[in-house]
Amino acid sequence: MFRWNDEQLMVRDAVRQFIDKEIRPHVEEFEHGDTPPYDVLRKLFATFGMDSMARDRFKRQIEFERTAADAVARGETPPEKPKREGGFDPSMQMIPIIELCRVSPGMVTAMGVSMGLTAASINSKGTIAQKERWVPELLTLEKIGAWAITEPDSGSDAFGSMRATARRDGDEYLLNGQKTFITNGPYADTIVYICKLDEGNDPAERKILSFVLDAGMEGLEQSKPLRKMGMHSSPTGMLFLNDVRVGRDRLIGETEDVPAGGRSGAKDTFAMERSGVAAMALGVISECLDLSIDYAKNRVQFGQPIGQFQLIQEKLARMEVARLNVENLVFRYIEMVQAGVSLSFAEASAMKLYSARAATEVALEAVQLFGGNGYMAEYRVEQLARDAKVLQIYAGTDEQQIIAIAKDLLRE
Amino acid sequence: MNIVVCAKQIPDPAEPGELDPETKTLKRDGKLILDESDMYGVEMALQLADNAGGGEVTLVSMAPDNKVDGIRTGLAMGAAKAVLVSDPALAGTDALGTAKVLAAAVGKVEGADLVLTATESSDGYTGTVPEQLAELLGLPSVTFAKHIEIADGKVKVQRQTDAGYDEVECPLPCVVSVTAGVVEPRYPSFKGIMAAKSKPLDQLALADTGLEADQVGWAGGGQEIVGVEDAPEREAGEIIEDDGTGAEKIVAYLENLKLV
Ligand SMILES: Cc1cc2nc3c(=O)[nH]c(=O)nc-3n(C[C@H](O)[C@H](O)[C@H](O)COP(=O)(O)OP(=O)(O)OC[C@H]3O[C@@H](n4cnc5c(N)ncnc54)[C@H](O)[C@@H]3O)c2cc1C
Ligand SMILES: Cc1cc2nc3c(=O)[nH]c(=O)nc-3n(C[C@H](O)[C@H](O)[C@H](O)COP(=O)(O)OP(=O)(O)OC[C@H]3O[C@@H](n4cnc5c(N)ncnc54)[C@H](O)[C@@H]3O)c2cc1C
Repeated sequence: MFRWNDEQLMVRDAVRQFIDKEIRPHVEEFEHGDTPPYDVLRKLFATFGMDSMARDRFKRQIEFERTAADAVARGETPPEKPKREGGFDPSMQMIPIIELCRVSPGMVTAMGVSMGLTAASINSKGTIAQKERWVPELLTLEKIGAWAITEPDSGSDAFGSMRATARRDGDEYLLNGQKTFITNGPYADTIVYICKLDEGNDPAERKILSFVLDAGMEGLEQSKPLRKMGMHSSPTGMLFLNDVRVGRDRLIGETEDVPAGGRSGAKDTFAMERSGVAAMALGVISECLDLSIDYAKNRVQFGQPIGQFQLIQEKLARMEVARLNVENLVFRYIEMVQAGVSLSFAEASAMKLYSARAATEVALEAVQLFGGNGYMAEYRVEQLARDAKVLQIYAGTDEQQIIAIAKDLLRE
Repeated sequence: MNIVVCAKQIPDPAEPGELDPETKTLKRDGKLILDESDMYGVEMALQLADNAGGGEVTLVSMAPDNKVDGIRTGLAMGAAKAVLVSDPALAGTDALGTAKVLAAAVGKVEGADLVLTATESSDGYTGTVPEQLAELLGLPSVTFAKHIEIADGKVKVQRQTDAGYDEVECPLPCVVSVTAGVVEPRYPSFKGIMAAKSKPLDQLALADTGLEADQVGWAGGGQEIVGVEDAPEREAGEIIEDDGTGAEKIVAYLENLKLV
């Protein structure tokens, strides 16, 4: 794949039209007003049938899992997983991400955490009953999800420093702890809460368990949105848990016997999140480049358009190089998914590291190219530069990506 | 309820158009998109078929070089199939020639209960094709529909007028031209976009329509574009300095033009 095909371009144009009509004119309100992004995202999903597609896919998945589980129960070998039917094209997910990020990367953050991270973590490790209970409404955005691992004293060292606990209490558990920087935290209906099983043992040896919580449960408090540098269309908040009582039905997988002490489950989720960041970066870069080309042609100084100055040309050329590289990473990812090959953890990390850095660099250079206007909120590059920065921090900081890549390269 | 919708594919109005110096006509060699005017027809047809509890919406189009991008948009929105007539001999075809070709294409669609067009296209906008088409098909027609209902083998139409609208009825089958903005054309769903490519698309050449080359094209139109001139520059207006009698001078000026 070296360019979008006709159908993908049609999808892109249709999504672009929707965004130009429903989101672009209201960016100010989404960024700085009190309107959360969820209603317009739901409208986007319904308009393009993304909700019914997700529902159908989920139904087929559950039917297969049932058949497989029945076969195992009868002592037979389960059927092989059906190949993804011809129609599935991951670009149907990537293109809306790219297009939304041209205008509002925050919306993608809110959407991705809800239907990506939160739904995926239940859908990969949950029981069939748990999947049916929570996943469909997350995939369609009818319910908003949050995925909570980070704590005030536990970020990059997510598992090591984690303080959040689950303690057994009869057949149930009592959950305690505090989470922070949680996307959708203030409004989430469904929360995946990651904590350690406290059996009085050494915290380093405790199992990592994930529970599904619903908003409004006794002892669960969701903070107001935190003020932050960018991604204002994505509400970020804190969660406080004080003796929240849950049954085993809310423990993902309904078992404490989690592989690798629960430390591997989250890793799969990280890999998926990282490839999504490349698509986000592509949106930011493409928009910044388009805006910059236009400005370079029209802004006149010293009697000529600034695009005539070589120092400006160098900026544009570097932006184009970044765009090409990130686009190629996205194309590669799409092809891999279609071929049924998954990215290794290190590859996903490399993809995220490069794309996040490229997005931040391009957006800041766009601000520079726009001069004083670039620093003004009226010009779109100001917001995109603030938004881009977080791509280097969340879903694992740049430094964490580098560690993951190096670890893989130096493996004996 | 089977409905045929005329779907004109035109050069994207957002791109700067260009004249072919040789033929002195608009260049149509780039990508063609579905004329926005016809999106209302497609939407209306989909809604009417839906309300009737089923039936197919078929698109018919005449366009150069077997261009299908605009038709694909209509198929992605939900039309079931399409008929496209394309032939080098059609270059230069005028509105009546177009109507002949479209009538032949409509004739290929079995069991059409209703034919919808826009009131005028966005690029040619002669606004004559719908009536010519009705005449050639031997069907009654209603123009400028802002609302359509189907009941008891008839269409009930609210027909836009300068003052408001008339309520008119017409037996099916018939040709109805619909005004812009009366329904909100849907976005094609992703599923619709992916399905569009595999929907039946009947591609016809002139010979398949039963028309002869001299009935269409430059020959059929009997017209020739002898020259293209730039519109004359606007002449500088008259500036009236207001020395206290400005209003009177303006009134006198307008009276002179018999405007007041
Ligand atoms: C807008 C936003 C949304 C977020 N959404 C969520 C969410 O939905 N759910 C969730 O659980 N979390 C979320 N986070 C949290 C995010 O994942 C963490 O902020 C991130 O993992 C970094 O953790 P930290 O902030 O504690 O930084 P720290 O881990 O304290 O890092 C501080 C600095 O030290 C560096 N560092 C740390 N360890 C090493 C090392 N070993 N070697 C070299 N350098 C190191 C880091 O790279 C960083 O530069 C969000 C954060 C933001 C800003
Ligand atoms: C100089 C010249 C060169 C031309 N060259 C070509 C050519 O090379 N190839 C070619 O295919 N056509 C060609 N045409 C035809 C032209 O594109 C128009 O289709 C035709 O003139 C109709 O005129 P209009 O757009 O003013 O129709 P209007 O009466 O304004 O159209 C009313 C409605 O009729 C329907 N309709 C009109 N035209 C079409 C169509 N083509 N397909 C489907 N529905 C339609 C639409 O619903 C439209 O909104 C040429 C015309 C001219 C004048």
